Amino acid sequence: MSIVIKNLTHVYSPKTPFERIALDDVTFTINDGDYFGIIGHTGSGKSTLISHLNGLIKLTKGSINVNGIDLGKKYDYKKLRSEVGMVFQYPEYQLFDETVESDVSFGPRNMGLSEDEIKDRAAWAIKLVGLNYDKIKNRSPFELSGGQMRRVALAGVLAMRPKVLVLDEPTAGLDPRGKKEILDLTLKIKEQGPTIIMISHNMDEIAAYCNRIAVLGAGKLEGVFSPSELFGQSEIIERLGLALPTPALIAKKLRDRGVSVTASDMDGLVQAVLSAKGGNYA
Amino acid sequence: MRDVSMGQYYPTKSPVHKMDARAKLVFVILYIVMLFLVPSLDNYLGGGGRLGEYMVKSGLSFGVVTLFLLVAIIFSKVPLMKVLKSVKAVVYLVIITAVIMLLFYSGKANHVYATWGIITISLEGIVSAIVMAVRLFLLVMGPALLSLTTTPVELTDGIESLLSPLKLIKIPVHDIAIIMSIALRLIPTMIEETDKITNAQKARLAEFDDGNVFKKAKAMIPVLVPLLTSSFRRADELAYAMDSRCYGGAKNRTRMRVMRLSYRDAIALVVIAAVFFAVLTFVYDYFGVATFISEWAYTLL
Ligand SMILES: Nc1ncnc2c1ncn2[C@@H]1O[C@H](COP(=O)(O)OP(=O)(O)OP(=O)(O)O)[C@@H](O)[C@H]1O
Ligand SMILES: [Mg+2]
Repeated sequence: MSIVIKNLTHVYSPKTPFERIALDDVTFTINDGDYFGIIGHTGSGKSTLISHLNGLIKLTKGSINVNGIDLGKKYDYKKLRSEVGMVFQYPEYQLFDETVESDVSFGPRNMGLSEDEIKDRAAWAIKLVGLNYDKIKNRSPFELSGGQMRRVALAGVLAMRPKVLVLDEPTAGLDPRGKKEILDLTLKIKEQGPTIIMISHNMDEIAAYCNRIAVLGAGKLEGVFSPSELFGQSEIIERLGLALPTPALIAKKLRDRGVSVTASDMDGLVQAVLSAKGGNYA
Repeated sequence: MRDVSMGQYYPTKSPVHKMDARAKLVFVILYIVMLFLVPSLDNYLGGGGRLGEYMVKSGLSFGVVTLFLLVAIIFSKVPLMKVLKSVKAVVYLVIITAVIMLLFYSGKANHVYATWGIITISLEGIVSAIVMAVRLFLLVMGPALLSLTTTPVELTDGIESLLSPLKLIKIPVHDIAIIMSIALRLIPTMIEETDKITNAQKARLAEFDDGNVFKKAKAMIPVLVPLLTSSFRRADELAYAMDSRCYGGAKNRTRMRVMRLSYRDAIALVVIAAVFFAVLTFVYDYFGVATFISEWAYTLL
């Protein structure tokens, strides 16, 4: 079970003056169980890429295989979309129903599940995102706080029990604490099974949470790396004009001053600094 | 999507694109007036004219206007197919109307080829059908070229400027123009927003083209509710943003894009005046040009 993308190319408004190559010959694989990060500049094609994964953008060139579903052939898009849950940027703006519970039930209901199952799943998802089910289920989603609304929207996707959860900048517009809460929530969700794909502009988040990271630059794939590969060497990151995560930045500044350390996350940095000092302080 | 946001605008660099929007608007109005200088066949014959003369006069007039339009299109660097495509919908309408006109010509006809019941095919019918078709076709092509070479924002600015004399009679031209510009500005945003929300709900397996009308209407709710709330939010934000920058209406405001007439507009004015005069010459037979040509045509026949 994995997502295999081969030679994916996508052109918006082809053969017009507005033509725009958003993805150019992109090939990589996302394995089952990955917490997969996608980074790249604004307009580098990240959203275009993930919108292919559940068929919202029709495959025009190349091939995609999601857990055995070949998107180049005729496929059951209901099945695909319940396997690949998609949480877009600012998902709280998609809430529409009268109560939190019925909004969260929208996906499962469209899947054609039984009423009992729908209720079970809604309750499960609302609890999973850390909200008090009994208190919140009958409230209007429009009278919640921004952070709560985002959780409800997330629950609406989780209630479909996707095997792959795609998050497009899940922390955009939240304060540091809200960010951390949502990210820790994704780890909790991951324990329930799904592969997670996350787009983010925040390198600290990417370095701390992802095990593999794809770097897009102007529609082209620059490569897929582990956090230590990517942030340890810092050339690719600098060439693409992206920022280093804080621990890697500190490591780089130390290197510049002659202390030989490499690190991509905080624990790694602490270890590296300690061993560079030549002692074991634990 | 992006194409919608610019109206029909076809972005290239051309002398026509660079012309002042106000000048283009005025020229399009002149162009339309020109098309109506040629009388209809009914009226012409009713006024005691001859069919042959009419054919020569209308042929020459529309010929020179078509030539003018073609030259304008060439200078605008918009592919001819693009212009034709933008009037595609109207073309079918024109053709159908012309056929009906041809078959059911109701005026006095002296050159009848055939009759079946109420259907009559006559030279008069054919001529008026052709004149009608050509006139309507030219009528939509001119404004189409205008919208292909002028952005909606330029057009609004141009209209505002042309209507500014109405301020004298206390019509809030500037406010109307601002409302138009904001609406124009927000259309692409709304389309984008609709797209986003539709995709988000599709990702939750929403169906939009299933079932009967009521089902379809109900299926729109998950899109319409977020769209409305976000429109209100956006309107509020824009109003705050305008207020916090002390937007206060028309008084003493300077413009970012100052419209200036240039030599291009002057050249265009000369050309269009010449075409206008040519059409007048043909239709009203100044200097006997039309008579001369029609007599020459008779000798050829
Ligand atoms: N619907 C569309 N029509 C035409 N062009 C589009 C459309 N959507 C995106 N593009 C263009 O395709 C390119 C890639 O866009 P995309 O949204 O995938 O970028 P992104 O990496 O997600 O950027 P961001 O970080 O800003 O979200 C951009 O240049 C964008 O202008
Ligand atoms: Mg994006």
